[in-house]
Amino acid sequence: MSVLLARLASPKLTLAILAAIAASVLMTEARWSGATEGLAVALSLVVVNLAAATIINPAFRRQSALLVFHLSLIAIILLVASSRLCYLKGHLELAAGESFAGLLTDFEAGPWHRGQLDAAAFTNDGFAVNYDPGLLRGKTVNRVHWNDENGRAHRAVIGDNHPLVLHGYRFYTSFNKGFAPAFLWLPKSGGQTVRGTVHLPSYPMHEAQQSIEWAPPNSTTRIWTTLHIDEPLLDPQRVSHFALPSNYRLVVRAGEARYDLRPGDRVSLSDGILIFEGLSTWMGYTVFYDWTSPWLLASCLVAALSLAWHYWRKFIAPSKPKGE
Amino acid sequence: MLWAAVAAYAVAGVGALTDVISDRNPGRGVLVALLLALALHTASIAVRWQDVGHGPYTTMFEILSSNVWSLSSVFALAYWRGRALRSSAAIVMPIILMLAAWMLSSDHSAGHVPATYDTVWLWVHMFFGKIFLGGLLVAVGLAGIVLLRGGLEVPQRLPALPENAALDVLAYRFMALAFVFETLMLIVGAIWAQDAWGRYWAWDPLETWAFLTWLSLAFALHTRVSFQPSLRMRAVMILPVFVLAFLTFFGVPFISSVPHQGAV
Repeated sequence: MSVLLARLASPKLTLAILAAIAASVLMTEARWSGATEGLAVALSLVVVNLAAATIINPAFRRQSALLVFHLSLIAIILLVASSRLCYLKGHLELAAGESFAGLLTDFEAGPWHRGQLDAAAFTNDGFAVNYDPGLLRGKTVNRVHWNDENGRAHRAVIGDNHPLVLHGYRFYTSFNKGFAPAFLWLPKSGGQTVRGTVHLPSYPMHEAQQSIEWAPPNSTTRIWTTLHIDEPLLDPQRVSHFALPSNYRLVVRAGEARYDLRPGDRVSLSDGILIFEGLSTWMGYTVFYDWTSPWLLASCLVAALSLAWHYWRKFIAPSKPKGE
Repeated sequence: MLWAAVAAYAVAGVGALTDVISDRNPGRGVLVALLLALALHTASIAVRWQDVGHGPYTTMFEILSSNVWSLSSVFALAYWRGRALRSSAAIVMPIILMLAAWMLSSDHSAGHVPATYDTVWLWVHMFFGKIFLGGLLVAVGLAGIVLLRGGLEVPQRLPALPENAALDVLAYRFMALAFVFETLMLIVGAIWAQDAWGRYWAWDPLETWAFLTWLSLAFALHTRVSFQPSLRMRAVMILPVFVLAFLTFFGVPFISSVPHQGAV
């Protein structure tokens, strides 16, 4: 048993594992297949190697700071593994005035993610973004509100370095934002009237392609919608602000028919009536969940501080015994 | 003012080289020239800061300028406090001068400050990063002197300089300092990245190469402690760590501008 432990704790093995981690990271950078699995194996070996070393290497009993540093490294790796099992990262879009109901446009999550995303409901109350000359994005300010478990209302301003944190989920504004024509759809079949928004491509990133094809709920009619902005909204020569245009046309095409719409205009289509209510905005959010983050931060700080403590005792504290 | 600062850096560098080539440990003259250069450079940074309205952290010119300043500051402090490491100025100052020349040839125009830079974590991250690179620079300077003397315990070359063993111990200490501060830099960078981009780590090129540098430092320190390699080998091991760190700081921004700028 002790022979096996000694082999697992071998400093040579440590060097080989460090090299293997570096190789796996480089393979990840080069997007080689199997790189992630290789990194996982190498990190697992680190845990085994460090755990064995802390058990049998007497240096760790003499140097408590060094022991704490190595135990912190083990904790960091185990927490990263837990993180990959339980995390969630996704995206969502909300028009101004729209509430988040737990639906994401896309996401990736660990197999053990058991979140309560629908409990993290909030409403987008609109945003403002500044642009420096050259259309370089400046500060993003997004007003939001939500109710807590007791029904108490809360308001906040988020954006850039300030996410909204609800039930462990962190909601971040993003560069992805744009215009959202709001429509009322009245089905001719007598079904329920539906109010909603259509999110045009991100602005100003896709300034020249403000078009999208969509279909009303329970309808087969394909509607091609284009926003024509007849005024300079963002001036690349000076500081400007993202704002709703006051001078615009919304062009709607369904089959061969083409309509220029102003707010309040209605169009009769084959299976319903479409009413254009006005132009709004939408904001794209990134949502991130990882319960390990605070523990990971704590472990990293313990690792760094114990390392500093170890070297301090080794090099600077005059009365302490020296040793590798 | 910036040109005057670079001229003073050059005087310090020439003085250090002359002293070492003459088998003398560089003295106060080098320190005085270095402090004069730092004073002029500080004034130059302050004037530009007032002009453009932000600190030196957006363009390659500003990044080079702030690093020339911080590396020189760390080295001046080390030079002042430790007589035994002064010969490393013959290696350190040419590296600083090379960065200064690169800085002078870079585009001086002002850059855009992304909104994600409006955080105290930027300052803490930069502070730790600069101490890390400064520590590594002093270590590589000391290793360079050891290697210039053939990496021998009792060198034939430049015998009047401090013993190689003493330089080696100092280099080890500065490597350890660099390791602690790189660890802190990565931690604070992760905190900042979590707030700025919604994730604490994403293997973007700068994160990847900073982590590889951390691994190489761990590798070098672990090898030294566990296997007691020769004096020459101990000095040689510092060089690739510095090269990696140097490329991470000044090379990766050329091949990727994605992670550390938030402007779209």
